[in-house]
Amino acid sequence: MKTRQYSIKVFEIELVDEGKFIAFFEKNYQFFQNHLIVINGKENKQIKEYLNSKELKHVFNLTLPKRVSDKSVNPPVPTPRKTTEKVQTNLKVIDKLIRSGQELKIDGDLLLLNRVNSGGTIIINGTLIIIQIVDGSIRCNGNFMMLQASHKANIVFHDVEVDNKYLQDKLKKVELINNEIVITPVLKETSWV
Amino acid sequence: MGIVIAVISGKGGVGKTTTTANIGLGIAQNGKSCVVVDFDIGQRNLDMLLGLENRVVYDMVHVMDENISIKQALIKSKMSPNLSFLAASQTKDKSVLDSAKINKLISSLKEDFDFVILDAPAGIESGYEHTIEFADRAIIVVNPEVSSIRDSDRAIGILDSKSQKVKNGEDVEKYLIINRINPQMVQSGEMLNSEDILEILSIPLLGKIPEDKAIIDASNQGKPIVLNESSSAGQAYKRVSARLCNEKVDFVDVETFNRGFMQKIKEIFT
Ligand SMILES: Nc1ncnc2c1ncn2[C@@H]1O[C@H](COP(=O)(O)OP(=O)(O)O)[C@@H](O)[C@H]1O
Ligand SMILES: [Mg+2]
Repeated sequence: MKTRQYSIKVFEIELVDEGKFIAFFEKNYQFFQNHLIVINGKENKQIKEYLNSKELKHVFNLTLPKRVSDKSVNPPVPTPRKTTEKVQTNLKVIDKLIRSGQELKIDGDLLLLNRVNSGGTIIINGTLIIIQIVDGSIRCNGNFMMLQASHKANIVFHDVEVDNKYLQDKLKKVELINNEIVITPVLKETSWV
Repeated sequence: MGIVIAVISGKGGVGKTTTTANIGLGIAQNGKSCVVVDFDIGQRNLDMLLGLENRVVYDMVHVMDENISIKQALIKSKMSPNLSFLAASQTKDKSVLDSAKINKLISSLKEDFDFVILDAPAGIESGYEHTIEFADRAIIVVNPEVSSIRDSDRAIGILDSKSQKVKNGEDVEKYLIINRINPQMVQSGEMLNSEDILEILSIPLLGKIPEDKAIIDASNQGKPIVLNESSSAGQAYKRVSARLCNEKVDFVDVETFNRGFMQKIKEIFT
């Protein structure tokens, strides 16, 4: 299996007014040919078609690890430090299925684009983000973890076993704040007015 | 130059030997020349399933260590002139195998046959490693249960790190056979369904073989089930064999449980 890692530039923009949005890109689109455009706002077919016609790569509402958690989160949760401060620079991006009996040891941060199967292990001293399901075991001593784990998984964060039931239904962020493990969902529920 | 296929599973008793015998014969019936080789040292089984148990004179170790030619050791199947068989040694000493000798044996089989199929032993020890070492492809046989899936996941990991092809920077093609599917149990949720298995193992599907009682009788008689046109497992092995010979064969649903005709009639009246 081939893996590759590279960094890309992300341009984040809020979509409020469709007309203004298009006008902006009409003027500036050449600058964003090599960017990933992250649009925050309601998914919009017209905007998509417009950006496609300009061959601009884009996604709607992608929460990237550098962003501060949503401020609307309930007050009892201690406010996490800005994630930006916690991301180190030696990030590895790997797209490899971690199978039973395999152990991946990482010195630094890791973005894993694949699964961790039951019996597979990741040991990491940096930040860990896994975007597919974890059935295996994780030992992470980094600033934070972002993952979703099944009931089979064994997740240990800073030598503390994290109860799987908090990690099961969606992608969660796990971090250590004042010696306490805090788990928050990465994507916030839509709040209806 | 023939293609070398290792039939592996990690866990024992999931149907590797049954699969080897049936696809070997199935491929032969498709008009390709095929040799099946028993790598399960000390446990000789494949000869029995092919109805050749009392015909073994020389085995693999005689060929590698003594002056016996491959021609002398190969046994031709009575069921198809295209199928030959090379027996495992009965010795209990599993260290008889050595990479250089295996390489030589497999290389010469590749020259004479379109397909060289190796039946792996259970487990992931040296016998297993020798089976995968010179394989071009692997067929992973699993049963729809978690222990089988996990053991084969492990076996795939070893295949991906220890086979000669991988060491040369190439890929060993991997295909999945899900064996002993019981439609009733899949539908009641007692058995893992194929989609879940494919997602965990993340290799392409070669075929699904249903649970079929007729396999026991077929094994006892030394007549692989693929010869039995009315058996569901036999038909499934036939489709798998055709796919291996590069024919396009549609996948057949073997997971939906067909209630019997009488059962349906009863339901209408109750
Ligand atoms: N599809 C099937 N339906 C019913 N019985 C099966 C099926 N496949 C295999 N078996 C039975 O399972 C047992 C183990 O099969 P075998 O091929 O010897 O496994 P392995 O070589 O992996 O140890 C045998 O008794 C065989 O008859
Ligand atoms: Mg066997």
